[in-house]
Amino acid sequence: MNWTRLNLVDGFMWSFMAGIVSCGTANAGDVLPFDDQERALIESHGPWPPAFVKDPSNRLSGNQSAIELGRLLFFNRRLAVDGTLSCATCHRPATGFTDGLKTAVGRSNLPRNTPGLVNLRWARWYGWGGGADSLWAQSIRPIVAPQEMASSGGPIKRLLSVDKNLACLYNKTSAVNFDEQTDEQVLVGAAKALAAFQETLVTGATPFDKFRIALLAGPSNPTTKYPLNAQRGLKLFIGKGQCNLCHFGPLFTNGEFGDIGIPFFIGNGKVDKGRYGGLQNLKTTRFSLTGIHSDDATKQSALKVRHLALQDRNWGEFKVPSLRNVAETAPYMHNGSLASLADVVRHYSEIDEERLHVDGEKILKPLRLTERESSDLVAFLKTLSAPLLQTTHVTRRSPVCSPVN
Amino acid sequence: MKIWMATLIAGFLAVPSLAADRVLIDGHVHYSHDAWEMLPPKAAIKVLREAGLKKVFVSSSSDEGTQMLYRQAPDIIVPVLRPYRKRGELSTWFRDETVDDMIADRLSKNTYAGIGEFHIFGADTDLPVVRNIVKLANTHKVFLHAHSDSDAVDRIFAQDPEARVLWAHSGFVAPQAIAEMLAKHKNLWSDLAFRSEQSDDGKVPEPWRKVFTDFPDRFVIGTDTYTPERWYYLVDHANWSRQWLNDLPNELADKIAFKNAETLMNWALNK
Repeated sequence: MNWTRLNLVDGFMWSFMAGIVSCGTANAGDVLPFDDQERALIESHGPWPPAFVKDPSNRLSGNQSAIELGRLLFFNRRLAVDGTLSCATCHRPATGFTDGLKTAVGRSNLPRNTPGLVNLRWARWYGWGGGADSLWAQSIRPIVAPQEMASSGGPIKRLLSVDKNLACLYNKTSAVNFDEQTDEQVLVGAAKALAAFQETLVTGATPFDKFRIALLAGPSNPTTKYPLNAQRGLKLFIGKGQCNLCHFGPLFTNGEFGDIGIPFFIGNGKVDKGRYGGLQNLKTTRFSLTGIHSDDATKQSALKVRHLALQDRNWGEFKVPSLRNVAETAPYMHNGSLASLADVVRHYSEIDEERLHVDGEKILKPLRLTERESSDLVAFLKTLSAPLLQTTHVTRRSPVCSPVN
Repeated sequence: MKIWMATLIAGFLAVPSLAADRVLIDGHVHYSHDAWEMLPPKAAIKVLREAGLKKVFVSSSSDEGTQMLYRQAPDIIVPVLRPYRKRGELSTWFRDETVDDMIADRLSKNTYAGIGEFHIFGADTDLPVVRNIVKLANTHKVFLHAHSDSDAVDRIFAQDPEARVLWAHSGFVAPQAIAEMLAKHKNLWSDLAFRSEQSDDGKVPEPWRKVFTDFPDRFVIGTDTYTPERWYYLVDHANWSRQWLNDLPNELADKIAFKNAETLMNWALNK
């Protein structure tokens, strides 16, 4: 079967053909009909990856010494005050840079699910509540949080002074003499190196990306083998499901926040304020793009923070996550309350409208998906995964740093 | 712990009332069954007191939640009767002819300042169930807390020009449109629940300042605890409200903060 022939069949014929193809298997070239609007929507989910542009607020962005320093720090348990936790303790490379747990465990149990760390350079806000406006600011949070690494600038400066390799790398990244830097400046410097490393965690082309390219190339081009159930799921994603209204663009996210009816109690008498708490943090923290630690002399990157205002709707809103590599990062939602992608689809299919304000998330209505539709949607989501573009630098043995002088 | 470390993690933590100086009455609180399961009456009242609220207009699905809170703290709870026996009746209640009997029965047995918050829009307002609710409000001298569009508010006043209506969320219309409705209906009060535009980082924008100034006796603040978690928003919301109220002349701020709600409440309760 080729693309041209399927484009010509009518809806009945399509339904008939789809019905006899079991388990979503497809031969190379099997493509469901996508109309112009659908093709435009599919096109909007690429190209991938976007161009890398250095973070203007982080002088170490794209700096090779900083990337190496960040990599070493990422796996270094001495970042924690008692030497028991590294970033990789929770963000394990083998499990999509998550821990696979419902909610994270630091020095004690934490209320939120550990998010994956891929493709972060293009994020707008960081953390489930968006309490950080840059990747380097977000990287400070777990280092100093009492329930996580419980450290501070002093111990981080000592670590970077006693470890010769780290000290060598740090000095290569800094224009200022190490001894003249304050504890806080060193903490920020370490966080910027961690950010530089995390910026390199970019995923490659997914089965969806390959299908997208082939589809847009037109009927005269051979298409990649892309399962028919995933194609049906894609139609739902951009059609009946309207998933793409929030999960749009190459990253499959609008980068903002929403209330999708997930409870946000975190124990007796406590709630996770979500975006509301994130905004309160952004308005008070020293570590934001409006603060003294941003390297963006133009302060253009701070514009997004300057006019933020607390709104009623922000209470209990959480970040709309990217769906790239979503299949690798179960469980789901800010509190890890949904164990599988099937559970996520079921949540949207049966969403409890009573938990949503009637004038809030107007686009959320129960999708009432059939069993096959749910299965197709999951099949599509599973095609959004791909390995990192570069993997060797994550785990390789580190060469010894050679001082500049 | 250094100050910047404390502020970094503050986003996770509930903060106590920061500005208990200005008295507030919250005109829009619900305490439905899922709220009382997560937050028993004693704990709920503790939250209200932490927020520094003088009084709170409470309604719930079912009414049992309101009654539990009222029994726990009659000094702070102002009961309002919702026509919903349970969640999920928001878009069906106005065709359910058993609702009127339920409302009449409860009004005769318990103390209430109002009927609501109910959701009604457009021509549905003229359905028999809603007409009876408007009549019952008149008979028992209680206000109507209506989550409605302007058309529905007009229809309520067409049915009973002497009705008193607390307009939930002020219909989610712009300040100028609220002003037009307030000018048209002398017994209309505007609740500001789930509205944020009246504060721009603590400053009241000019269109809002104008409508507040033009109708100083008609606005009421509110939170809308439509999910149980939002009970913990009461504290933050109270502090946020005090912040923008402080940007208004003191006398006007006090009217919006509590005096207008008190006037409406006293009209209903001091019969």
